[in-house]
Amino acid sequence: MSTTTAAEKLLLQMVDDYTQKEIAPQDMPMDAAGDFPAGFMEKLTATGFLGLMLPQEFGGAGFGPEITATVLNHIARGNASTAVTLEGHFKTIDQLLKYGTPALQQQLLPTATDRIFAFSMTEASGGSNPMSISSTATREGNHWVLNGDKIMITNGGLAEVYCVLVKTAPTELSVFVVDQDMPGFSFGKREDFIGLRGTPVGEIVMDHIVVDDDHLLGNLGDGGLIGDSAHDDARVLMGAVLTGIMEHELKIATDYAKERKAGDQPLTALQVTQRKVADMAIRKETTKLLYQQAAHLKALGQPYSELAAMAKAHGSRAAVSAGDDALQILAGYGYSREYPVEHLIRDARALEIAEGTVEKMRSAIALAEFNH
Amino acid sequence: MKIIVCLKQVPETNNVTIDPITHNLDRRGLAGVMNPFDKHAIELALSLKDTADTDVTITLLTMGPDDYADSLHEGLAMGADEGVLLSDRAFAGADTLATGYVLAQAIKKIGNADLILFGRQAVDADTGQVGPIVAEFLHQPQITYAANLRLSGPNEVTAERLLEDTKQTLVAQLPAVVSVRSELNTPRYPTPRQIQLSFAKPLTVWHHDDLELDDQRLGQVGSPTIVTKVYAPAPVKRELTPLTGTPREAASQLITALKDRQLI
Repeated sequence: MSTTTAAEKLLLQMVDDYTQKEIAPQDMPMDAAGDFPAGFMEKLTATGFLGLMLPQEFGGAGFGPEITATVLNHIARGNASTAVTLEGHFKTIDQLLKYGTPALQQQLLPTATDRIFAFSMTEASGGSNPMSISSTATREGNHWVLNGDKIMITNGGLAEVYCVLVKTAPTELSVFVVDQDMPGFSFGKREDFIGLRGTPVGEIVMDHIVVDDDHLLGNLGDGGLIGDSAHDDARVLMGAVLTGIMEHELKIATDYAKERKAGDQPLTALQVTQRKVADMAIRKETTKLLYQQAAHLKALGQPYSELAAMAKAHGSRAAVSAGDDALQILAGYGYSREYPVEHLIRDARALEIAEGTVEKMRSAIALAEFNH
Repeated sequence: MKIIVCLKQVPETNNVTIDPITHNLDRRGLAGVMNPFDKHAIELALSLKDTADTDVTITLLTMGPDDYADSLHEGLAMGADEGVLLSDRAFAGADTLATGYVLAQAIKKIGNADLILFGRQAVDADTGQVGPIVAEFLHQPQITYAANLRLSGPNEVTAERLLEDTKQTLVAQLPAVVSVRSELNTPRYPTPRQIQLSFAKPLTVWHHDDLELDDQRLGQVGSPTIVTKVYAPAPVKRELTPLTGTPREAASQLITALKDRQLI
C-alpha cells in the first residue's frame, strides 16, 4: 500500500468529520424513510464529494483509486447508502475516463461535480447475462436511435447522465451515454428494496432517443468489455463499503458487550462473545486487505479484476455474517428495529447481488485461477 | 483589506493529562487538530471575503512545531490565501504572554493588517488570553467573545459581544483585534478539490532570525506564568453598570464612576 500523503490525511480528517456530523445521524432515518433526507445530497454535492476522483482538469479533486476507496470505507462506517451512491457515480466516471472520446469527456465530465452519473446494464430479461438484453441502438442516417427499458439502476432517478448497455447488432453489445434532458428519456419506477434504502435504485425508459456518434463509449462491440470494467471498478469500491459496514457492526457489538452483563460477568469476559467478535474482526480485516490490494493494483495500472471480485464475494458474505454475530451479541436489542444491526445486515445483503452475484464472482475468480 | 487569523493546534483527544510536576498540559505523543474555536474565526474571515466589495486577503498565522502546518493546510483548504508558521526552539515553552509577543511581532512584519481574528480560546488550556495580549502589544482596539460582526464603515467594525449574562454591541476602528464565539457561524468543510489545491498555496515558515525579537520575552525565559493548581473557578455574580452615549460621554461616566468608588 502506498503511504498516505498530507493531502490524503487532511481529506480523511474532513471525511470523518463530515460523516460523524452530517451522514451518520441520518443512517436510521434514511432506512426508515427509504430515501435520502431533503437537502442531504445537495449538501454532499456542495461539499465537493462528487468530484473526489474526477481529474483536476475537469474540475475535480483528482484523488487516486486507493484513497477514493478508503473514503468510501470511512463514509460507510456512518451510512452505507451514501457510500454506494458515490460508488455508482465514481464507477461511471471511470468508464468515461477510460473509454470516452476527448470531446465527450470535455462535454460531460465538468458537470460530474454537480450531477450524478450512473451505469445501467440490467433489464427485465437479464442482469448478469448481458446478451439477453433487448435494448437497442439502431443507425438512422448520421445518428443512433436508442430504444429500451433499463431497470435496477443504482442511482436511477437521482442520476442525470446514464451510460446504457444496448445491442447494436443481434450479437453486438455497445455502450452509449444519454442525458435525462434528451427527448425520449423518462424515468420509470423506483425499487422498494429491503436494504441500502437511502440509495435510489430505479428504471429509465428510452423511447427513440437520438444521439450522435460521439455518445458511443469506446467502439461498437465494446459493450461487454466496458460492462466488465464498470463491474471491476464497482467491486473494488464495494469491498471498501463492506469494510465500513463491518466496522460499524463491530463498534455496535463491542460497545454493547462492554456495557452489558450476563449474570455478574460482563459479556466481554465470555468466550462465546470473544469468539464472535474475533471472527467479525477477521472478516473485516481480510475484506479490507482485499479491497486495498485491488485498489493498489488499479493505481499501478495492473490487472485487478480478480481481487476486486474477491473483495466483493468475500466481503459481502462476511458483512452479513458479522452482522448476524452482532445481532446475536445484542440478542433482543439486535433483533429490534430500534437498533441499527438488522438494517446493516439488510444493507450488506444487497452487495451479494449488486454488480454481479457472489456466484458469478466465484465463477470469475475460478476462471482467472484456471488461466494463471 | 487584509485579515490575519491566528490559530492554534491542540491535542486531538479529550484525554489530556496534567503534568504532575509542571502542572501544565502534557501534550506529548498526542495528535494535533486545529482548535475548533479558530475555525469560526476563519469562517468569519471567509464570509467577509465572500461578501466584501474590495479584495480581501486572508493570512493564517500560528506558532508551534513543524506539524502545526497541518492546521494551516486545513485553513488554507477552507479558503484562506496564505499561511505563516512561526517555529523555533527559542519559542518553546511560551506562556500566553510570550506567545502573544511573538505573534504580535509577526503581525507587524506581515504588515497592514486591518483585522486580526482569534477563536475565543483554545480548548486545551482555555485561557482566552492570547488575543487580548496581542491587541495590547499592537496598541489596537480589541473586542472579545464576538457572537456576530459586520463591517459597519470603511474603517470600522460593529460586533455583538455575548457574555455570560449580557450582550454588548461595540464599535471599533480598524485595525482591530477580535476574538469570536462559536455562535457566530458554522465553519464550512474544505472540499476535496480545495484540499488538493491548498498544498499549492504559499506557506511560509519564519524562525527566530526572521523576526525582530527581544530574547528576554521568548520561550520559558519570557513566560512569567507559574501554574500551581488547575481548577474551575466558582462563578461570581457582579454588578454591571452599562456606559451609554458617545465614546466621550461613556468615558466621562466611567471616570465619574471610578471617582465615586474612590478608585482614582
